[in-house]
Amino acid sequence: MRIWIALLALAAPAAAFAAGPEHVSLASHVFVERVKPGPGGKPVTVREAPGIVTPGDRLIFELDYRNVGAEPATGFTITDPIPASVAFTGGESENALFSVDGGRSWGPLGSLRVAGPNGASRPATPADVTHVKWAFARPIPAGAAGSVSFRGVVK
Amino acid sequence: MRYQALGAESSAFVKNALLAAATAVSAAAFAAPAEAAGTAAGTTISNVATATYDLPGGGSGSVQSNVVTLKVDELIDVTVAWRDPSDVIGTAGATGQLLSFTITNGGNGNESYTLGTIANLGGDDFDPAIGAIVLDTNGNGAYDPGVDTVYVPGTNDPQLTPDQSVAVFVLSALPLAATDGNRGRAELTAVSKTGTGTPGTSFAGLGQGGGNAVIGATGGKGLADGFYKIQKASVAFLKSAAIADPFGGASQVPGSIITYTLAATVSGTGTLANLKITDSVPSGTSYKPGSLTLDGGALTDAADADPGSFAGTGIAVNLGNVASGATRTVTFKVKID
Repeated sequence: MRIWIALLALAAPAAAFAAGPEHVSLASHVFVERVKPGPGGKPVTVREAPGIVTPGDRLIFELDYRNVGAEPATGFTITDPIPASVAFTGGESENALFSVDGGRSWGPLGSLRVAGPNGASRPATPADVTHVKWAFARPIPAGAAGSVSFRGVVK
Repeated sequence: MRYQALGAESSAFVKNALLAAATAVSAAAFAAPAEAAGTAAGTTISNVATATYDLPGGGSGSVQSNVVTLKVDELIDVTVAWRDPSDVIGTAGATGQLLSFTITNGGNGNESYTLGTIANLGGDDFDPAIGAIVLDTNGNGAYDPGVDTVYVPGTNDPQLTPDQSVAVFVLSALPLAATDGNRGRAELTAVSKTGTGTPGTSFAGLGQGGGNAVIGATGGKGLADGFYKIQKASVAFLKSAAIADPFGGASQVPGSIITYTLAATVSGTGTLANLKITDSVPSGTSYKPGSLTLDGGALTDAADADPGSFAGTGIAVNLGNVASGATRTVTFKVKID
């Protein structure tokens, strides 16, 4: 069942919100955040659909979820691996957990350490993050929807 | 699988509140630590997330999001730097004088460049006559005549990978009319063959890997100026005579001794090479043997290891290389017949 749902979602990405036959749907979006001249010459930050993307560009990854089932969804989590060419820069929605070891262990970023040479370790930095995850304590009511997001920069 | 809650998630379902929170954080999140070139042009960035949840009947379900893919576009940036630590010193009329530059691909894709030079710039005293641009074909950073290749536009335009540099040499002749201390400026330009423009200009589909090409901060064109400086030394020559007659006076009578002093003063900058002082013994006088001196030190009359000699009709002193600012003084004596 689980595999079947996953395959369906992959096969029909355009129908993102319609996926997940009776439980939950998850749609992934990415935006580029740019600083542009605004009214009166003051720079304003705008988010745009990614047209041109080059190293150093700031990306916003947004995940929209919806409980499309008839029952509240309990134990709900969203997990997103950071793409290889993207450095996580924070800006995540609240209550996120992080992994700096490919998703094996999780915690608040301040609690994580990265192994260095000679058995030493150092505190993890945002650039070390390999996965970000949100775990929801309360059930998501039927029909409810929301969104989580995080930021990264193209390496 | 279940996860423990972290803090209050009262706003978890309120999309606007979440976005507002994310925006508040964003101002501090823009360090943009990109490496020099960064991710190669044409690289695909894919993002897919997974949601898991409890199934009503027990166990857990999961769903994957759609896959969002981005292709990294090619950023076009090129810099040219003049490598000589200071003005390249040359003499007026010298040919094959060398300025050294480095061209660096600051973009994230392979890029070829058209090279050019400009000599008729302001802010200098003369225009170097640029003869050739030479590529450092063997990559040793030094100009090797006959080994490094002369650049021919459209034939051997240098192609550089991201972050790669190539040394380029500009060979010029310096005008004969230039005088000491004159500076001449020469500019080397490298223009991206994909295109140039104001930063942000894009060329659809022309990027490496099939994406777009985008002009970066350098405008797709790099340039740097190098300077030549003329070093020209000149010599001023002063001859004086002092007469001593046999009676303690200064009359020109037979038997009077004339002491000639020849002072050569080099001015300007640099060095005069192989400076030689010669003078002939005036008719009606005879050279006084052993009277030749250089800077107060005696020289023998024979053509030998010391720089001075007397050869029947005149004296000669080889001063060799004399640096500017130096004065060399030669004296010799003759007796009125």
